[in-house]
Amino acid sequence: MSRLLDAGLEELTTILLMMGKTGEETVELSIEGFTNGLDVSDRVHSLSEILVSLSVDAEDKAFELIAKYQPVASDLRIIKSYIKIAHDLERYGRYAWDISFIHKRLAKSERCKDPWALIERMTEKVRDMVHDSVESLRNHDAELAKTLAVTENEVDQIYFKYLDLSAEASIPTRCLITNVLAVRYLERIADHAAYMGESIVYIVTGEKVVLR
Amino acid sequence: MNRYATRKIKDRIMVSLTYLALVIALIPLISILLETIMRGVPAINLQFISERIPPLGQPGGGIGPAIQGTLIVVGIASLIGVPIGVFSGISLAEYPETKLALAARFLNDVLTNMPSIVIGIFGWTMIVVVIGWSVIAGAVALAAMMIPIVTRTTEEAVKLVPASIREAAIALGVPRWKTTITVVLSSAKKGIITGILLSIARISGETAPLLLTILGSRFWFNGFTEPTAALPLAIFNFSKSPYSTIDWPRAWGASLILILMILGISVVVRYFTREKYV
Amino acid sequence: MYKYETSLSVETEKIPVSELMSYKIEIEGLNAWFGNNQVLKDINMKIRENAATAVIGPSGCGKTTLIRCLNRMHELVAGTRVSGKVLLDGEDIYGGNVDPVTVRRRIGMVFQKPNPFPMMSIYDNAVAGLKLNGINDKRKLDETVEKSLKSANLWDEVKDKLDKSGSSLSGGQQQRLCIARALAVEPEIILMDEPCSALDPIATAKIESLMRNLSEDYTVVIVTHNMQQAARVSDFTAFLYLGELIEYGSTEDIFENPKNELTEKYLTGKFG
Repeated sequence: MSRLLDAGLEELTTILLMMGKTGEETVELSIEGFTNGLDVSDRVHSLSEILVSLSVDAEDKAFELIAKYQPVASDLRIIKSYIKIAHDLERYGRYAWDISFIHKRLAKSERCKDPWALIERMTEKVRDMVHDSVESLRNHDAELAKTLAVTENEVDQIYFKYLDLSAEASIPTRCLITNVLAVRYLERIADHAAYMGESIVYIVTGEKVVLR
Repeated sequence: MNRYATRKIKDRIMVSLTYLALVIALIPLISILLETIMRGVPAINLQFISERIPPLGQPGGGIGPAIQGTLIVVGIASLIGVPIGVFSGISLAEYPETKLALAARFLNDVLTNMPSIVIGIFGWTMIVVVIGWSVIAGAVALAAMMIPIVTRTTEEAVKLVPASIREAAIALGVPRWKTTITVVLSSAKKGIITGILLSIARISGETAPLLLTILGSRFWFNGFTEPTAALPLAIFNFSKSPYSTIDWPRAWGASLILILMILGISVVVRYFTREKYV
Repeated sequence: MYKYETSLSVETEKIPVSELMSYKIEIEGLNAWFGNNQVLKDINMKIRENAATAVIGPSGCGKTTLIRCLNRMHELVAGTRVSGKVLLDGEDIYGGNVDPVTVRRRIGMVFQKPNPFPMMSIYDNAVAGLKLNGINDKRKLDETVEKSLKSANLWDEVKDKLDKSGSSLSGGQQQRLCIARALAVEPEIILMDEPCSALDPIATAKIESLMRNLSEDYTVVIVTHNMQQAARVSDFTAFLYLGELIEYGSTEDIFENPKNELTEKYLTGKFG
């Protein structure tokens, strides 16, 4: 029996899945540009703008559904979580843009060397987390979402190690600072992926977990 | 357009026919009232309603005793009939499913349609044979006619009280019997009073039972175990009289008085049971 | 590894519905029949004192029958039967020598359609419970009228026309008058059977806020088919389906994360 709410929920889900796809694309592009010394900032910027606009749409839609249908139980959990997830996906765009921007501004979009070979490990994990988070959103897969906790922990470890090593470097070069900032932004992306995972577990089980 | 025109005409014809039927139905009522008023008014004066009944053919006098007699007999009949009828009606409405109730309702219906002359014979056999022609016999006979009407109308009136009223009182912790005699009864008041009035009107005009119980007389009330006059009897006697010019107007006058009396009772009781709160 | 926490302690200070609150009514193994039709099946429930408990469920699930069993009104209809226990402050109201009339004095009821006594004034309606039980002291009656009409949020609107007929009020006002009438006999428990279903949204809102106030001093049990109303006014919610108690818990839990699949389906409108 289809309810009036279902049509609205479908629209909201469409927006979110669109955001997921775009978010993944944006992060991929930004990392690619950073790793290979390309200037992708304009393109990343427009993708990020799309994400901002979509997140506003998602929020509006969610509140419209709440006002009209006063959802309860699983419906309420979905809508509540989707609002948060839309924010997380918008942040993917934002931080991806931050990486491209600082790469262009400080390092003139050059290919910066990574003396400790940590950044490559980090970007790989972050890309996986972004992918997994979007995948678990698509399928409401709580088990997949919970695995994000492990990766998030690993990303944190790499982040702190990079900071420690950078703090001991004698001369701050443009690339060093760019790398430190980029690593920071990557760590934030990982955080938001973990937040997303928490929301998805909440949708499925109703439990409020912490995956960080 | 032709069909529309035909329909309009048919419509008008039907409406006119219904109005015509209404007028025809009202004719007897209106003509009776008019005749009674026209012929009765000239006969009525202070003397007419206060002096005792003269022999047939003799001028002067009045129908005072007949008025008094009717009031007394109907009054006593009501004293007997109203309480019995109201309580039976309430019992039937509150406990409708019992075997006693089913039997009572059936007998009640039978009694309602009993020919009044048969009731008269009942009164004669039961009471007149024992204590003679008397007011009591008349009152009992009339009460026997009154009870089935009051029972039936009271039952209907009480049944009409919505269950929600009863439930509200019971939910307040009022015992069932108290709910009935307070809340239910006051809600059904109007219906019950209407029923009582109907029955009074009915018995005031009954002649057959009175013929066999109170006999009639020309004199004032003389005691409960004595015969007495009554309006229906007076009307009957006067109209049988060969002295048409003297007695027939008296019959009309008595008829008018009887109608006015019933009307008067009705108005007075309605006034006292009006809605006190707006 | 990941760690679980069930609720963040940073959140607002929720008054914990702890074991410190007592139970006013304990229903044990309650069954009820209409003739051969069993309407309630083995209900076991404990209703907290001074809280509002909502009973929800689709039409015909037995919710009205349930509350009518609490004040022994179910048995008034011919052909009905009840078995099991209903403990009011520990004593079974269906016990051998318990007079149902005294039970009903401790438990007030408000019905779906407002039913003020039609022949009585507002004043008389409010104190009907007292007058019909023989209390006629004018001063006490005056006090009670004011107190109960105030408790029902109706005093200001009717204080100048107490002698007008109870039926002259609007639907919402009539319902509040019925609530005042129930309160006047100082019950410990108030049962409400879909009290707002015959009222417009504004009147409904007034009565809902009244319900919340009343639940601080009385044990209130509300039957409603409006889930959002149950969510708004109650502390606990019971979900009945086909005569069985499917789920019963705090309103928050039931409406955010119901444990039973049937409850989830009903709440989200996936079946009537």
